[in-house]
Amino acid sequence: MSPRLLRLTPVVAALVLAGCASVAPDGQRSAVTAHTAGSLPAGSQLADPAPQARAAARAQVAAWLQQPVDADTAVRIALLNSPALEAQVAALGVQDAQRVQALTLPNPTLTLGRFVNAQEREIERQLSFGLVSLITLPWRARWQGWQLEQATLTTAQQVLLHAADTRRAWLRAVAAQQQLQTAQTLHEAAAAGGELARRMARVGNFSKLEQAQELRVQQEAAANLARSRLNAALEREQLARLMGLWGAQADFVLPATLPPLPAAAALRAGDDAEATALRERLDLRALRRELDTTAERNGFARVGAVFGDVGASYSRNTSTERASGHDDITRGWELELPLPLFDWGGAASAGARSALQRNAAQLRETALRARSEARSHWLRYRTAYDLAQQQQTEAVPLARFLQDEAVYRYNGMFISVWQLLAQARSTAQAVATATEAQRDFWLADVDLQLALTGTSPGTPPSPVTPSAAPAATTEAGH
Amino acid sequence: MQRRSFFTGAATAVAAASVSRVAMAALPEPVIQASADTAEPLTPPNGRPYHPVVTLNGWTCPWRMNAGVKEFHLVAEPVVREVAPGFFVNMWGYNGQSPGPTIEVVEGDRVRIFVTNRLPEHTTVHWHGQRLPNGMDGVAGLNQPAIPPGKTFVYEFEARRPGTFMYHPHADEMVQMAMGMMGLWITHPKARHPLIAEVQRDYAFLLAAYAVEPGAATPRVNEMTDFNIWTFNSRAFPAISPLVAKQGDRVRIRVGNLTMTNHPIHLHGHEFEVTGTDGGPVPLTARWPEVTTDVAVGQMRQLELVADAPGDWSLHCHKSHHTMGAMGHGVPTMIGVDHQGLVGKIQKIVPDYMLMGERGMGDMGSMQMPLPDNTFPMMTGQGPFGNIEMGGMFTTFKVRSQLGANDYRDPGWYRHPKGTVAYEWQGAPLDAQAPRQTAPGTAPGAASVHKPESLPPAAGHAH
Ligand SMILES: [Cu+2]
Repeated sequence: MSPRLLRLTPVVAALVLAGCASVAPDGQRSAVTAHTAGSLPAGSQLADPAPQARAAARAQVAAWLQQPVDADTAVRIALLNSPALEAQVAALGVQDAQRVQALTLPNPTLTLGRFVNAQEREIERQLSFGLVSLITLPWRARWQGWQLEQATLTTAQQVLLHAADTRRAWLRAVAAQQQLQTAQTLHEAAAAGGELARRMARVGNFSKLEQAQELRVQQEAAANLARSRLNAALEREQLARLMGLWGAQADFVLPATLPPLPAAAALRAGDDAEATALRERLDLRALRRELDTTAERNGFARVGAVFGDVGASYSRNTSTERASGHDDITRGWELELPLPLFDWGGAASAGARSALQRNAAQLRETALRARSEARSHWLRYRTAYDLAQQQQTEAVPLARFLQDEAVYRYNGMFISVWQLLAQARSTAQAVATATEAQRDFWLADVDLQLALTGTSPGTPPSPVTPSAAPAATTEAGH
Repeated sequence: MQRRSFFTGAATAVAAASVSRVAMAALPEPVIQASADTAEPLTPPNGRPYHPVVTLNGWTCPWRMNAGVKEFHLVAEPVVREVAPGFFVNMWGYNGQSPGPTIEVVEGDRVRIFVTNRLPEHTTVHWHGQRLPNGMDGVAGLNQPAIPPGKTFVYEFEARRPGTFMYHPHADEMVQMAMGMMGLWITHPKARHPLIAEVQRDYAFLLAAYAVEPGAATPRVNEMTDFNIWTFNSRAFPAISPLVAKQGDRVRIRVGNLTMTNHPIHLHGHEFEVTGTDGGPVPLTARWPEVTTDVAVGQMRQLELVADAPGDWSLHCHKSHHTMGAMGHGVPTMIGVDHQGLVGKIQKIVPDYMLMGERGMGDMGSMQMPLPDNTFPMMTGQGPFGNIEMGGMFTTFKVRSQLGANDYRDPGWYRHPKGTVAYEWQGAPLDAQAPRQTAPGTAPGAASVHKPESLPPAAGHAH
């Protein structure tokens, strides 16, 4: 290699590197998908803004909406269809473009001058460019890469959070729909009881007071039905928003019931929860990446601070003697160096060091939180399971038994039809409570998944308040 | 009617280990009754002869003659009484049943009664109506120390007055009587008595009431008024034996009341006189004919009649709730309430709901619907013409012309002579258009001021 060529090598390398830094055509969607693949339902994809892809996605969503929307499909629709999520992914594309822009070499500056005096005409040509950006290009390329990866990880977390929000909303919507069914049945029964009481009073078997007491039950049931109806509508609306649905599409159908509780053997074990969280959580990986970036930037900060922008220029000046027409050509280069007289880079390097410390502390703090969240969300998950299981296998059968006994007592004319209805209401209440417990288990499951493999679920498990309210009991027959 | 072996045999059980065998060797062996059927009258094997009583769904306690003294052995113990078929109640009683065996003696008999306590708590026996030494009267604390669990006490006195009596505890008696501890005591006259007629049939029973929660088996001993099981000798219709008589028999019925309310005992088809109380025979001049006599709390009444009218005649308490089985006394009246369009709605939340009571409660007798376990139905009992719709202090007095002198078996349903049963009118029907005096729920001539005028409507709701 000739010495001349050797001198050119860094320049060429920089040029090659700069050429490589190109904008990812999918706006980093595949990179995000790579981080989230394991945590999303099979067949999930992020929205692609290309017109053809958009049309395909619309068709796909329409096809999905033909069937009752299960939780996985709700997540798939949300990922493909949610404008909020699309905005977040697009922001990543913007960042990618900015990165590529940052890595592109600054264009050299061509300075042309024409100066005339009585004797001479001078033409000055100067080509100059910033050296530092060229020298630091590999460094910056790596750093920008890390930053992009970190941003990708952050976006992946947003994707997982959006998926989790959708799944939670789906669970709430289905449960609210089930509760509405119960409230409707209860209201019908209370209305029948109220009507019967009215007819009792009409033929003189009930006093107005006795009738009013049954009327109160009916009024309470009507109020409860109204609340349940509102709740079901709001929960459904929340789900539609997360899935990016509106208009006719918002009339999607949900399954009638929540998924059944898994078998106890299929439950997630809690012993490796912390290790899993430390290994897999995207927020920890993002912070680790940020720490690397900051550490790397630490060195660069010093160089940059001390030398500022080192300018290099090459000049070729031609002076023409006007009288003789004789040209005198001057060639040469110029180096422009800021003198580090006042700023020796101390402040910048101290700032970088602090940033490093801050990032390290943030990583430690996040790891601490990840451990704690893994433990507490696993506990919540396990307890939610036990509670739901107890409701389903003990409380509901017990309520049904009480109702059977109430029927027997009604058969024997030990209790009235209103007492029978009251017992039936309390049975329906037990079923509703069991549904709530089932929903809470699945909500805890969503949070646990997120806490172990995604990111902080954001909602710290709230302290449980043991319920002191006893179940409604019926007045015993004589 | 069950044949029974006396001091030995299948119905006899050996005393429990808690009573010392050495001590037991000197005691007459108690006769334990396993059946709630009516036993045959016990013809006295020794001592002065008499015409024995028949204890409805009970039996007479056999005795041992010991140097001229009649020795009985009562064992106070927890028992399970079949109050009606399939309905068992945990009670406390004597010798395997509640009530305990009837003690039958003759005026002037010297009687020694061994009382063994196998209850979890102390007890005594009070010999209700007897003239006896004060220390034999059986009031715990007042006349004697209570008999501790596992101990046997001896009562001894002379049966001085002929008449109808009873025995029951006088220690924690509220609990022990609520649990069924009681028995009859009959003292026959030693010779013809001017005020005591010779009878061909002599029946005896005690009135007892229990509060048994539907689905439970042990009486609520703290109940004071709201009982739901009304019994003759701790049996409820249709499980009470009929009283059987040959046409023309003179019949004596002895009734004692150990419940907490009075019972007007009513007999159909005959009139009777009250010929005696636990105070003794009633003077002839004080008797009057009637068909219902009120047996007040703690009293005994001795009725006598001539069974001259053949048939199956009701004998029951005239408090109509006392001829009912278990029922809810707070259940509202459903009669005349239009259920149209509501049954289906109620069934949506209670699928097994059935409409009841809108025509009255008579349907209860024929409806076969599941009740809580071990629950005595409110009304039941099939007769020759359908459901009798009773359940409690109710039985029949069966008079037949063809019947053996000592035959106490149920002769079956009465065969009515042709033309002697109420029949359906086949003539012109009642004019259904005739105006009713009132519309339901409207009192004739009632003041038309009502306040509040109406109830507020139920909260609005969209359907
Ligand atoms: Cu009565």
